[in-house]
Amino acid sequence: METGGTRPGEGTSITTHDEAVAAADKDIIEAHANEPAPLLPLLHAFHDRDGFLSEAALRAVASGLRLPLADLYGTVTFYDHFARFPPGKAAARVCDGPICMLRGSSAILDALRKDGATPMPCAGRCDDPCPVLIGDQVLVGSSADALEERPSKLPVPNPGGYEECLFAAVRDPARKTLEGYLATGGMQGLARAVEVGAASVIDVIKDSSLAGRGGAGFPTGVKMQAVRDAVCEHLPTTRYGARKYVVCNADEGEPGCFKDRVLMDHDPFALIEGMAIAALATGATTGFIYLRYEYPQTQNVLEEAIAACVARHYLGSDVLGSGKSFHLYVRRGAGAYICGEETSLLNSLEGKHPFPRNKPPFPTTHGFDSMPTLVNNVETLCALPRILVQGAAWYRDLGLGKHAGTKIISLSGDVQEPGNYEVPFGLPLRTLIEDWAGGVPQGRKVQAVTMAGLSGGFLAGEALDVTLDEASIRAHGSFLGAGGIMVFDDSRDMVEVARQAMAFFAHESCGKCFPCRIGTQRLQERLEGSAGPTNHDDFLAELGDISEVMMSTSACGLGVAAPLVVTSLIKYFPDAVAAHVARTRNR
Amino acid sequence: MSNPLVDMQKPDVIFCIGTNMTECHPVAATGLKKAIAHGAKMIVADPRRIGLVKMAELYLPIRVGSDVALLLAMAHVIDRDGLVDETFVHERTRDFEAFRAHLRDFTPAWAAKICEVPAADIERAARLYGQAERGAIYYTLGITEHICGVDNVQSLCNLALMTGNIGREGTGINPMRGQNNIQGAGDCGAIPNNFPGFQSVLVEEHQRKFKEAWGVEVDRELGMTKIAALDHCGKSIRAMLIDGENTVVSDPDRDHCDHALRALDHLVVIDIFRTETAELADVVLPATSWGETDGVCTNTERRVQRLRAAVPPMGESKPDWWIIAEIAKRMGLAGFEWQSAKDVFNELCSISPIYAGLDWDRIDKGEYHWPVPTPDHPGTPRLHEDGFVNGRGVFKVLSYRDPAETIDEEYPVWLTTGRRLSIYHTNTQTGRAAGLPWLQSEEELEVHPDDVVAWGLEDGAFVHLTSRRGSVRIKVKATERSPRGTVFCSFSFNATPVNVLTGSGYDPLTETAELKVCAVRIEGVARVEAGS
Amino acid sequence: MTTLDSPKTTAAAATATLTLDGATVEFTLGETLYEVCQREQRHVPTLCYDERLDAFGACRLCVVEVEGVRNPVASCTTKAAAGMVVRSNPARIDKFRRTLLEMVASENRETEVDAERGHASQELSGLIERYDARRDRFRGKQSGKSKLDDSNPFILRDYDLCISCYRCVRVCAEQEGDYAISIKGRGFHTQITVEFDGDLRESACTFCGQCVQTCPTGALADKKALEAKELPGEIELTRTVCPYCGVGCSIDLMTKGDKVIGSRPAMDGPANRGALCVKGQFGFDFIQHPERLQHPLVRGDDGELRRATWDEALDRAAKGFVEAKKNHGRKSVYAIASGRAPHEAAYATQKFVRVGFLSNHVDNCSRS
Repeated sequence: METGGTRPGEGTSITTHDEAVAAADKDIIEAHANEPAPLLPLLHAFHDRDGFLSEAALRAVASGLRLPLADLYGTVTFYDHFARFPPGKAAARVCDGPICMLRGSSAILDALRKDGATPMPCAGRCDDPCPVLIGDQVLVGSSADALEERPSKLPVPNPGGYEECLFAAVRDPARKTLEGYLATGGMQGLARAVEVGAASVIDVIKDSSLAGRGGAGFPTGVKMQAVRDAVCEHLPTTRYGARKYVVCNADEGEPGCFKDRVLMDHDPFALIEGMAIAALATGATTGFIYLRYEYPQTQNVLEEAIAACVARHYLGSDVLGSGKSFHLYVRRGAGAYICGEETSLLNSLEGKHPFPRNKPPFPTTHGFDSMPTLVNNVETLCALPRILVQGAAWYRDLGLGKHAGTKIISLSGDVQEPGNYEVPFGLPLRTLIEDWAGGVPQGRKVQAVTMAGLSGGFLAGEALDVTLDEASIRAHGSFLGAGGIMVFDDSRDMVEVARQAMAFFAHESCGKCFPCRIGTQRLQERLEGSAGPTNHDDFLAELGDISEVMMSTSACGLGVAAPLVVTSLIKYFPDAVAAHVARTRNR
Repeated sequence: MSNPLVDMQKPDVIFCIGTNMTECHPVAATGLKKAIAHGAKMIVADPRRIGLVKMAELYLPIRVGSDVALLLAMAHVIDRDGLVDETFVHERTRDFEAFRAHLRDFTPAWAAKICEVPAADIERAARLYGQAERGAIYYTLGITEHICGVDNVQSLCNLALMTGNIGREGTGINPMRGQNNIQGAGDCGAIPNNFPGFQSVLVEEHQRKFKEAWGVEVDRELGMTKIAALDHCGKSIRAMLIDGENTVVSDPDRDHCDHALRALDHLVVIDIFRTETAELADVVLPATSWGETDGVCTNTERRVQRLRAAVPPMGESKPDWWIIAEIAKRMGLAGFEWQSAKDVFNELCSISPIYAGLDWDRIDKGEYHWPVPTPDHPGTPRLHEDGFVNGRGVFKVLSYRDPAETIDEEYPVWLTTGRRLSIYHTNTQTGRAAGLPWLQSEEELEVHPDDVVAWGLEDGAFVHLTSRRGSVRIKVKATERSPRGTVFCSFSFNATPVNVLTGSGYDPLTETAELKVCAVRIEGVARVEAGS
Repeated sequence: MTTLDSPKTTAAAATATLTLDGATVEFTLGETLYEVCQREQRHVPTLCYDERLDAFGACRLCVVEVEGVRNPVASCTTKAAAGMVVRSNPARIDKFRRTLLEMVASENRETEVDAERGHASQELSGLIERYDARRDRFRGKQSGKSKLDDSNPFILRDYDLCISCYRCVRVCAEQEGDYAISIKGRGFHTQITVEFDGDLRESACTFCGQCVQTCPTGALADKKALEAKELPGEIELTRTVCPYCGVGCSIDLMTKGDKVIGSRPAMDGPANRGALCVKGQFGFDFIQHPERLQHPLVRGDDGELRRATWDEALDRAAKGFVEAKKNHGRKSVYAIASGRAPHEAAYATQKFVRVGFLSNHVDNCSRS
């Protein structure tokens, strides 16, 4: 006898309606259906087992979670890493990010293609290219026969001698165990938070001027306050009851960004501690770390760290004797850049089609499960423990001049020492490139850099004199964002770099809003010369009109930012663009 | 319906019993789907795993014909667990104490045996409905087409009354009417007990009113129901007028029906097609079709709406009212001098209190739900908001009865009948709409896959389906929509005249046929042929 | 949720004012800027909007300027707020709209389609014309791939014409509750389909036609109505009520000349607000079916039904009743009214019995 609708998460066992669901499939479903946000883990379980998502598996999941099959099918096809057919997960994915393309990833792909290898967008190893994902293993190397597993590269000691916040202890191997973490000052921030209480924590964070390090730069303390103040209005559609959430955005999908991976791999407890502090401050009782698919080892690190913390009551139903509970879960994405957009991320967590939501309402009031939710980037959350221990003034003073705090820059491309650098806000860009990272190869000059990974477009010429802070960079029509900077020396074809960038945006456009869905495609075609006017003026007019409408009317940051690559290309490299149009004409 | 269709989006608990709404009233079902999407919970009680089950919070696969037992036990739990709306019961109802006393023995454990569902699920259903802020009941012919149809409905009323789930938005007891104007036929007085506007023929004031209006001595006695009339054909009933009904196919016990109509001295059929019933007539008169006819209809929520002609009539066909009026005039009757549908409708409005505020022009946009007693009245989308017509809601003490026919060794399988999404009634219209037969071109007997195996049948093969009244040949379809031991088919295909099997009994009060239950046996065609 | 209105509107909601194109305008709290613009009769174009559905914000054609906000906002998803200063049609916005329409036009095989395709099928071509958008600008790949091998007789799946507005997906989910339509893939390669890319018949589709009627480009189209596309004349619509179940859905019956060519849900139908089921949507053509009875029949001496004139048939009908009454009394005549014919039929039937035979021997088919 089946009694219909038990919803997952209500504590009773799930019932399925399709007798045809195989017993083994039912076991997998029952293993996950009662967890919060069960869809992604469930799909991964089938994907891991079979190597792809078969029709039977999707039917079983739809039946088990009571999702419409058509919805589930569409949602699964949205994610780049979910395979529907063999060889599926077993086939290699080779990074074709902008830096890896400079480092021989095409040759690696060609060598592996006979075994079904396909390209994947930037997988966040720009400091140690080229990553190849096979199953749940990330190998790196510069040729197909030299691939090996290597740990995330640690940041070099701060070349400027500036005091660090995030990287201060990251190089200490002890930080990888809870014991070592505690021995190096870990969990003191959480203890302090328990001691002073939520209001004081929020005051300190506000006072520190810490702002979102994922790119948007919203003041963290203000956001915490908004979640704390939000009323949990229990709606009939709420699945898990009236409660608040902290969600860590670890979907580090921006090409040229690889800082969060290093933080999580080498200092996982700092993130957990940061999230526990955020939970205490906001009143959240459940947390998720939404981790990008391309970091499988990181998932193991985090899950082990969480288990250790639960065992020692840094997480769980009574955090450090505070009487407050905080349960933390890792959820693995499946290959979708847009899920780095916070509302897409929430939809993805909830098992919905990962389109961005319309805002307002914002996640602070209507986030996961329509409940108040704090969504922050890894770097932001990792900063919380030390700020609480050392104080707001200490953190503010880490910046140069009037700038407060630090920012991790993922620096890659044509520099001697690519890697992550924690820089004080206000540091000149040239200092970072030339003094800290050893400059471009001998005999070369910096032709251009990207900002915010790819989203900020290019800076070149005099604009390379910016300092690393939003005000300075925005004055040049770009932004610092998540802090990925790719350097291109004067041997590089910037039109080709722009084409690759636009191909990435087109590949990752979710397809919800018209300007982005059509605009990224048309810009890509024009940069590759496959369509569009062959007359220079018309070419520029089309690019200008598409870019303008995208920047002005797109529904989320992807479509607003994507044209910067084009407008900055035209601004800094008009001759290269003219030559490109001429080439198209002669095609 | 006590409540308008818009209310279907508003309950927090929905109780659907004996209604296959996603197939029979698909657009109404969209309202429930919206309510569920916004968090409402639904209980579905039905022998078959119908489309609604997918959306249900709780599914009760009750045995056919066991509704009263389920509803009594639910009432028992609601009372036992203190979920009775005492204020409502006190202020708006009467006879509750007798009902309460009566309930004591009808435990979920007792009902579980009859309904063949776990007692715990009956308890859960009772608590879900009993705790609802806005609980709404929806039912269809799965409730009424039983010998205990009236008991079924009254059991539902008891539940709604004891929980105060009536007279408010998103609540109520809501029967879904099966045909586009079946409500209207009642409104117009085409029933043996009421003049137009549900004015009883037994009430002197009404008799006086109609005598005055029509200038004749109206009858002061109840007329016969159709079921009784068919029984009396060739005896006291000698002539019959049938307008737009394929009685032979749609009514239970087809052989009986066929004999009855053949026994008449005079049968006049008005229809748009040469139906199986028309074939038996002495005179067949071609009516204009939907799409060719101006007129009025009333939907299940008592909304009075206009039908409009879009094309000229085919051939010589004429509106039904014109045909009947012509016959009447040729019989020398007065009062049939209408020039248009408008004249007919306005006459109805003039003598029906529930339509008194309406006329042909006022219903142009279809915004009125009757009763509309005066021209300045806004209509009544929701009944019983300010009280019941008869003063107080009355609890009825009633008990469970077995169906007229139960399974036995000779007929060991329950048969229940109903409709399908793409086919309407006897398929005279849908069968002639291009494409719809593509969806379903023949009748199939839905049998649980395990029964297919257990009974030695084969999916897709033909069987003989036999009841005490007859036998049909039908193709088997293995599907989990049917529970073990119960089979289903529709009455829509003349090639598979399922109603030769039905008609085991009638509700004693309404004389509605027990179309929903009969006992049958199933034999593989090959086996029978080998044995014969 | 914008669906069926409650027939009894309750207490007046709170109001405030904003400035729209220089004029002070009152609005109800909770209204969107799009709704305010509509009410104030501003032309604000959209392609992804269907008033029955939750606002989605995909097409961005409805953007308007709000003072103090850097980028234009989608009016359909932006709630009106007190004191807002809104411009609905400044030149900059008009240019964006034109560019967007040119981009949309560039992804489709064609933009001018037969009106038989569906209720909203002319929306894209109408806007392209209104904004004088160039159809040949922004050339490049086209999106969507038609699935013409789906053998269903109702819905043409001409996805070459799809612009990914997701109205079909949303109407199927939010309005019809069937969740039959999938959004496959993403970005420019988004494809509207059903699970596993199969035929509609194998999916959760119930052929209600809601997707067809909300499609703004005719990508999903009414196959039955399209059969009449070569017939001369304009499509005319006649408002009536569906002849099937008791819900009473309003239908606009489509005709060309004297031929019924299709059926469309009435978007303002009080009982259905644009919803229909497969019967109401596609079950109309019994009306002019060749098997219709087209003249009276009487049973001849040979026992067979034969054609008769109205006079003969009516006389014969009347005579039979008169004789029954004469020979067997007034209670020997019975009448069954139809549950499917209009009121006038039922009223005439019962009056015929009550006046003609002074009895109450009349019933209808509700008992079967």
